[in-house]
Formats: sequence, C-alpha cells, structure tokens
Amino acid sequence: SKYVLQTAGFDARFPNTNQTRHCFQNYTDYFKCVAAKGEEFAPCKQFKRAYHSLCPNEWVAKWDEQRENGTFPASLDP
Amino acid sequence: MTTNINTNHTKVENVAGNLKQIQYQNFPFHLVETSPWPILVSFSLLTLTLSAVMYMHGFANGGTLLIIGFFVTVLGMILWFRDVITEGTYQGHHTTQVQKGLEIGVLLFIISEIFAFLSVFWAFFHSSLSPAIEIGGVWPPQGITPLDPFAIPLLNTFLLLSSGAFVTYSHHALIEGNRKGAISGAITCVLLAMIFTGLQYYEYSEAGFTISDSVFGSAFYASTGLHGFHVIVGTIFLSVGLIRIISYHLTVNHHQGYEASIIYWHFVDVVWLFLFIAVYYWGGN
Repeated sequence: SKYVLQTAGFDARFPNTNQTRHCFQNYTDYFKCVAAKGEEFAPCKQFKRAYHSLCPNEWVAKWDEQRENGTFPASLDP
Repeated sequence: MTTNINTNHTKVENVAGNLKQIQYQNFPFHLVETSPWPILVSFSLLTLTLSAVMYMHGFANGGTLLIIGFFVTVLGMILWFRDVITEGTYQGHHTTQVQKGLEIGVLLFIISEIFAFLSVFWAFFHSSLSPAIEIGGVWPPQGITPLDPFAIPLLNTFLLLSSGAFVTYSHHALIEGNRKGAISGAITCVLLAMIFTGLQYYEYSEAGFTISDSVFGSAFYASTGLHGFHVIVGTIFLSVGLIRIISYHLTVNHHQGYEASIIYWHFVDVVWLFLFIAVYYWGGN
C-alpha cells in the first residue's frame, strides 16, 4: 500500500501564522463528528488527520487525558 | 515655618489671639497655607499600594499594613478635604478663578479615572473577543453560567439612571433656592445608590462563579468591582454634599463641591451603562 504524506491544507478561517485555533478546532470537530456519526464514518478521519498533523503531540496527549477526566474545556456535543 | 507676606497689597492683622486674617490681596488666586495632609496621604498611599502587593503575595504583615494604609489614607483625605471646605466656605478663599481651577481639576481627575476603566475594559475585550482554547474557545467559557442581564443588572441600570435624574433635580432646586427640593432630591439619589450597592452585594454572593473562575471571573469582578468601589466613593461624595446643603454651606451660586460630586456620579453612571452592555449583556450570552 502507498502512504500519502501531506499536511493539513490551508483553512481560510485561520489565515495567520498562529495556527493554535486551527489545531484545536480540528481536534474538537473530530470528536464531535465521532459523537454524531460514529467512529467508522470515514469523513471524520479528515479531522483526525488534520489535528494529528497540526497539533503538538503534548497537546493531544493532554487533551485526551482531559477528555477521560471529563475536564476538557470545550463542549464535544455534536 | 511662617512666611512674611506683608507687601503693598496685603495686610495681615491679628484679629483675635492667633487668628490672622488677610485683609487685601491684589490677585484672585489662593495661596494655601502649609499643610501636613499632602505628605501624610502620599506616605499612606505608598503604604496602601505596597502592602496590597504584600498581602496578595502572602508576605508577612501584609494584611495588617493594608488596613493601616487604607485607614490612614481615608483619614488624610477627610482632614485634607475638611481644610478645603474651611478655606472655601468659612475663609472665603474660593474666588471665581479658584472655583474654575477646582472645576478643571475635577474634570482632569475624572478623565484619569476614565483611563483606569479603559484599561479594565481593554482586558475584558482582549480575553472575550478571541477566547483562548484553554477556556474552550468560547465566551462565556465552558462551565460558566453568567448572570441574567435582564434580572438584577437591568434593575440596577434603572436605579443608577434615576438616581442621576434625582440629583439633577436636586441641583436645579438648589440653584432656584428651593431648599426642600434640593435636600429631598439628594436624599433620594443617595438612597437609590445604596440600594444599587446592596443589590450588587447580593449578586456577588449569589453568583455561580468567583473571581478565581477562569479569566471570565477575573474580568467580571475586576470591572464590576472597580465600578462598585467608585459607586461607594461617589455615594460618600454625594452624602457630604447633602450634609453641606443641610448645614447651609452651599449657596445658590456657589456649590463647587456639590457640582463635582454630581459630575462624578454621572461618570459612575455612564461607566455602568458600558458595563451593562459589554460585560453583562454581550459577555453573558
């Protein structure tokens, strides 16, 4: 199988150098998508690829832990 | 230290014992006598500010020094303003030009207060216009239930607006020589102000968030708290005016202190309107 290496594309909602919100938005959107459509729903994977590309791994780990504790700051309701 | 001011244009006489009276001056300005209050207040303010920092950072004796600094500042202010009233009302030093200077001084002071509030409003908008991801990228932050602006805050808006109307009535009554109207208007204004303060105290104790609850709490209590402090100061200022009306200090044409308290009160009211619109209404939904 062939691996396609690519980063998250340009998102006009986040045009500036500081891409923090771009990362955070994709993280929350992935889990909202999964909550709404289930993990097997393929289009949700796009958000997952985007946040894994954009976000520092420490942030992802911290947010995963917050989700487990129920202390994640954003609403993940779809 | 005594200054010899005997010139061609002034003649100082001993009227009774140590009581000296200036008989004549060829200029309209007020050369104040030496006073210990400015230096006392400057040291008490230094104590107040340094001890506030000490207290907030847990240094030893910070709290005690804070109380001392606060009380000596208030005491110094009382004694200083008391002297200003003596110089104006009893000694007649407040000529038209002196009044003008005092009026400009009051306006400049209020302008400086506007800048102080601007800084707090800046902090509020900085945090709320682009909410950080740490609070969920939303405002109000995730988990914070803000206060209903159309409950007590709306009532408070009407209280302050009507208190402004009553003090305006009182001022006009004073100018017309209507003593009863001047007094009743001032009393009503002060009462409405006290009800406002009481309701804010109630809201503070019943709110579902504290000052420690994320930047929302900090911004909310810093802005409304600074305003509340000004309401209390303004209420005291108006009360002094009321007492002076009752004590026959003020005349139909000359009531600089009362006018200063009224301008200050209108300023406090306008700040509340901005608070209500930005912090309570826009910041709450």
